[in-house]
Amino acid sequence: MHLQASILWKGLFSIGALSLILVGLPSSAEDAGTLYNTTYDVLQGERYFERQCSRCHGFDAKGNDETGAPDLTGRLSRANNPVGIFNIVRNGVPNTAMLPVDADLPDAQVWQVVSYIESLRYDPASVELDGNPDAGLALFLNNGDCASCHMVNGQGGRLGPDLSRVGESTRPEDLMTAITNPHEDVAPRWWTLEITGPDGVTRSGFRMGEDSFSVRIMDNDSNLWSYQKNNIDSIERIERSTMPSYDGAMSESELDDLVAYLFSLRREGN
Amino acid sequence: MNRFISTLCALLITTITTQVSAQEQEFETVMTPAFSPITWERLVNSKEEPNNWLMYSGSLDAQRHSSLDEVNINNVADLELKWAYQIPEIDRAETVPLVVDGIMFITEAPSNVVAVDARTGRQYWRYDHELPEDLRICCGRNNRGVAILGETLFMSTLDAHLVAIDARTGNLLWDVEVAKHDSGYSKTAAPLIVKDLVVTGMAGGEFGVRGFIDAYHPDTGELAWRTYTIPGEGEFGNDTWSGDSWKTGGSATWITGAYDVDLNLIYWGTGNPGPDWNGDVRLGDNLYSDSALALNGDTGEIEWYFQFTPHDVHDWDAIQVPILADLNIDGQDQRVMMWANRNAFFYSINAADGRFLKGSPFATQTWAQGLDANGAPVRVPGMEPTYEGIMVSPPITGGTNWYSPGYSPDTELFYVTAFDGEQIFFKRDEDYEEGERYTGGGGRYDQPIDAFKSWIRAIDPTTTETVWEFPIMPRSSAGITTTSGGLLFSGTADGYFFALNAETGQELWNISLGRRVHAAPITYQVDGDQYVTIASGNVVYTFGLDE
Repeated sequence: MHLQASILWKGLFSIGALSLILVGLPSSAEDAGTLYNTTYDVLQGERYFERQCSRCHGFDAKGNDETGAPDLTGRLSRANNPVGIFNIVRNGVPNTAMLPVDADLPDAQVWQVVSYIESLRYDPASVELDGNPDAGLALFLNNGDCASCHMVNGQGGRLGPDLSRVGESTRPEDLMTAITNPHEDVAPRWWTLEITGPDGVTRSGFRMGEDSFSVRIMDNDSNLWSYQKNNIDSIERIERSTMPSYDGAMSESELDDLVAYLFSLRREGN
Repeated sequence: MNRFISTLCALLITTITTQVSAQEQEFETVMTPAFSPITWERLVNSKEEPNNWLMYSGSLDAQRHSSLDEVNINNVADLELKWAYQIPEIDRAETVPLVVDGIMFITEAPSNVVAVDARTGRQYWRYDHELPEDLRICCGRNNRGVAILGETLFMSTLDAHLVAIDARTGNLLWDVEVAKHDSGYSKTAAPLIVKDLVVTGMAGGEFGVRGFIDAYHPDTGELAWRTYTIPGEGEFGNDTWSGDSWKTGGSATWITGAYDVDLNLIYWGTGNPGPDWNGDVRLGDNLYSDSALALNGDTGEIEWYFQFTPHDVHDWDAIQVPILADLNIDGQDQRVMMWANRNAFFYSINAADGRFLKGSPFATQTWAQGLDANGAPVRVPGMEPTYEGIMVSPPITGGTNWYSPGYSPDTELFYVTAFDGEQIFFKRDEDYEEGERYTGGGGRYDQPIDAFKSWIRAIDPTTTETVWEFPIMPRSSAGITTTSGGLLFSGTADGYFFALNAETGQELWNISLGRRVHAAPITYQVDGDQYVTIASGNVVYTFGLDE
């Protein structure tokens, strides 16, 4: 009890007078969530994050391949609410490089870090769009013919990304860009490779995987082909999308409807 | 009947003989791995027993070259898995095992060591080091290997201790605190034996520590000497730090160095000045950060230094393994120290006096126009980190990093895992607090890591020109080992282990091991058979030819 009191006081001194009004508020992860989520708290959390966490998680919290630290700006694999994040920051993840924060660090400061991490994500449900999702679904299935290439919840084609949860990871403005200018930012997974193999046959397909020594593609008939680079005759990369632009092919309001539908594709409660 | 009895007798005799012979063989198998003690002479002459891998870089000159040639360019494609050892703690494995007369010593995260039969990977013993919970480590729970002298192993631990372990049993012989872990110190690198001393560095460059290199007596753990890598008050170079910044200036020593017997010099690299990305609080050249130090082999005194990146503000540690070789440069036969630095420049330096001989970039860089006649960088103005961020090559991880380079006396080429990338560098204002991170900023990629590429680059150290290069996508953080079989072994971040022709860079063999190779290969021989070992993910794999 005595120890807890001293930790609390240390915390109060370090985060300033604002916290004085928060005495008695959450001091452990068993409580409901963070009340340390003012703009000031988020800024304090960011400062702590930049200093203590960015070495592994990156200055933009997008993770680091070198350190194996995950991206914290999207959906988190080990926590789905502020309490879960608090517990990870406070206790670390056993048997990984994710160590606990200093045991002397006041809970208030840990909550500020949690608030900062929370601030990196946004709540899609809070976004209001002009379009009508139901009308967008009709366009997706009919006029747009999107389903011939894209799957949604197990129904559709294989020639484009699965869109079942596209609303979780993509903002409406980026969805609009992807529809009207699909060539702007094509992920390497959707590049087309033309490979002439040891059998002399040239096959064209999506770039499923590529590394220093091998490459794997899926052709338009969904056949999967794997090549060793040291015995292929040639490889050509087409870094454009196979998707047509819908700019001009649909009216602005139709595009808004389509975006509204795509943005609605999220898991329940997300 | 008689014939039957005599046939039976003959069969029995044959069976008994076979059994005895099998028992003898088994008996021998049990008894022979009792290795003979590793004397200093054996370490000096380690190249004469290529069946063993006796120290982190294979030999005191740190060439990472083995004269074994049973596995060679003609049969390397026939390599097959002999055994795999699964490390129980899940973390990344940066271990470089030692092999001593058929016994392999593997270090594990966080600070453990296990002894296994080098033919089978089966365990003799293990030592688990007890660690406190409040470790201060910047970059994962790593341990890169042990050193051996006599019958004792010496290992750095994450709580900044040095431990001595009985190589036959795994029993702890002594355990000394090198520095206070809760002040930000830790230890990850394999020590280096120099004569009758255990020479060892430390880590903590992101915590405002003051770096040093230590030497300990192997029998007692008593400190023989300590050389600080930041000069104290009144010492030469202290005035290259503004104010009291020298007290918290980093300059850690977290990778294993090299030693030259004739010159009696220990070569050791030093890390970034701290805070890493905000140089405003430590104006000056910041000696001896980002430097190669040549220390007297008996006293540890600094005989000469070469600072690669004065007043570094990009975290480009000179934490690379120095490689020594006799070369003819500009018509002069000389002992040369070769160094591919994190700042993306390769240097050939006279090993006796530290004189700069040649240098040029080996990876993409935008921060310097080149090197002057003394090897000092001619800087491009305005490349320092800012509050808003500024794009610079190489990125924080550097043109290369700590992973071991190699040199083959057969090809006379230097090999390095290079990275062509760029990053946005930021500066932040921070106050030093003991035990807290003290970095003053950070970096951010503005493209996916897949957009960049690593390379194995073969450099002629007499000209510093790249002779050939082999592309690796997306990237590599693996070390390099060459052999007299004409081979170069290395790995990739996406889990390949591969062999190239060391002369030409031609790909000869690869196998997907599934997880990041974050270590350097070793090769050794038991009972006349050559093996190659590499850690990938949390597994140590050993390959050999079909017998």
